[in-house]
Amino acid sequence: MSKKWKVFASTLAVLALALVPACKHATKTVAPQPQPPVVEAPAPAVAPAPTQVPAPTDFVKTDTQPTVTEEEFPRNLEDANRVAQERGYIRDAFFGYDESTLSADAQSALSASATWLKGKDGAAYNLLIEGHCDERGTEQYNLALGDKRANVVKEYLQTLGVDGARIRTVSYGEERPFDPGHDESAWQKNRRAHLVLVGK
Amino acid sequence: MKVIRIVLIASLSLGAFAQTEITTTIGANQAASVTRIAIPFPDLAAGLDSAQINSAFFAPLTRDVAASGVFAIAPLPPLVPVTSDLLKRINATVALHLTVRKEGNDYVVGARMVDTTGTELYARQYRGPEIALTKTAHMIADAMVRAINGKPGVFLSQIAFASDREGSWEIFLMDWDGGNQRRITYHNALTILPSWSPDNDRMVYTSFARGTSDMYIINRRGGGRIRIHTGLALNTSATFSPVSNDIAFVGSVNGNPDIYVIKDDGSNLRRLTTSPTIESTPDWSPNGRQISFTSGRSGSPQIYIMDAEGTNVRRLSFEGEWNDDATWSPTGEEIAYTSRVSGRFQIRVANAVTGESRILAGEGSNEQPTWSPDGHWIAFQSNRSGRWEIYRMRADGTDLQQLTFNGENKEPDWSKKLE
Repeated sequence: MSKKWKVFASTLAVLALALVPACKHATKTVAPQPQPPVVEAPAPAVAPAPTQVPAPTDFVKTDTQPTVTEEEFPRNLEDANRVAQERGYIRDAFFGYDESTLSADAQSALSASATWLKGKDGAAYNLLIEGHCDERGTEQYNLALGDKRANVVKEYLQTLGVDGARIRTVSYGEERPFDPGHDESAWQKNRRAHLVLVGK
Repeated sequence: MKVIRIVLIASLSLGAFAQTEITTTIGANQAASVTRIAIPFPDLAAGLDSAQINSAFFAPLTRDVAASGVFAIAPLPPLVPVTSDLLKRINATVALHLTVRKEGNDYVVGARMVDTTGTELYARQYRGPEIALTKTAHMIADAMVRAINGKPGVFLSQIAFASDREGSWEIFLMDWDGGNQRRITYHNALTILPSWSPDNDRMVYTSFARGTSDMYIINRRGGGRIRIHTGLALNTSATFSPVSNDIAFVGSVNGNPDIYVIKDDGSNLRRLTTSPTIESTPDWSPNGRQISFTSGRSGSPQIYIMDAEGTNVRRLSFEGEWNDDATWSPTGEEIAYTSRVSGRFQIRVANAVTGESRILAGEGSNEQPTWSPDGHWIAFQSNRSGRWEIYRMRADGTDLQQLTFNGENKEPDWSKKLE
């Protein structure tokens, strides 16, 4: 291959790559490609002279079909948990200080989680609920409080139709804070029931 | 309260020089019964390093003796033989004479305590490798206390605790003065809340090694570790009965943590509390007839006491908006616990019957008290340095000393039986 061709080919590759992610998320309809105007012409007419050769961008536009791949929900547990949390498929429940009752926010987070857990992708997993507390209490009481929080969430998911046999709970009390800080913003993050997908 | 400040100076013929400064606090009621003692630096056989003998043996021995509450160490003038005349002059009634020599790899330590009339109160010889020199010091201090008041000292007791110094939290042991710290569990997972058996042979604790929190027992006489299958969640705050094979612990069914008792072979599970609120942190009274615990039934965590069968529940703590970690003194007269006062946790000591209490205030948050087996000391965890570390103080709050410095350290539990 000549050097020129190499440059041209790699340009194409880069452009194609640039297009792929855009297509993945695209829900918009693909813009209709310009149709050449139909011209009435006598039968053995000479084909209309080709318009000028388009620049590489136009070439890519006209020649490359948008690709849409159907994404599998990740099989690997670590990726599955990351993706499920990032996309809000499963959402942690947060609690008030020394509280184990569910706020409206916590209920709506869990209701979204239940819907996904019962769906096609979610049904492939079991669920571990970790109960966590902020550091302001005492360790031994907080281990018990974390257990109560995890189980309140388990019960709520069950009322929303998630099979209790799929759910396991564990309390970490204040042993594993999400935020190591010592202020209200850290404490708020640490008072939670953390939902973890586990294998069936 | 009288504070006696003592500078120990011992000079050696070789010109080596050792000095230990010791602060002793003696309560007013103790002062009368304190024996003034002279402890000259040991006679060392030729070739022994006096600095090494000082740090491994003499310094820990004199620290123990000074902390004993039985002895006060009389300062000695340098380079003067310790005669009965000298003892009288410095107002000492007894002297401890020490010798150290080496035989092969062993150190042979002689200890002899005599009074001013020349009567021998105690004499013994000890033999061991170099690493045993500090233990020898604790043994001598213990025997000296025994010779005076007939009861063993606290110097051979051990403190168990959890530490993250080697990665995940694991159980460690240390001597009563913070020396000789060593790891005893290898779960490579969150492992916490150690508690000694009444004979000091076994330890029960909680580990998350299987992803759930489980109760384990290890025996220092061997036999590996045993997981006690309770069929319940949590399995935290486990503690041996002082009089039977029972273990009290926090178990949970469907998110309702309660106090349960199970035999140490995993049989005969019994539920002692039935409240829908959180119950936690049981501790047996020394006679095994009562169990203290924490309950949220009043709306905040408070200390309660019940009979060992779960009956006759009464509330002990009424002050402080969050109380936990109750632990009985060895006599059963007092209960120490963690109590939140103005937003910070402090160690509170309450009369077990009346509930009347005093606060042993300190900087930072101070939690999880544990009594020494002689009842004279309380160890606890504090975050005053910015990290959780273990400290020790007298039961009246004086003579505070930090015992751990490596990583974070918490949940101290002092061995139960005096040895």
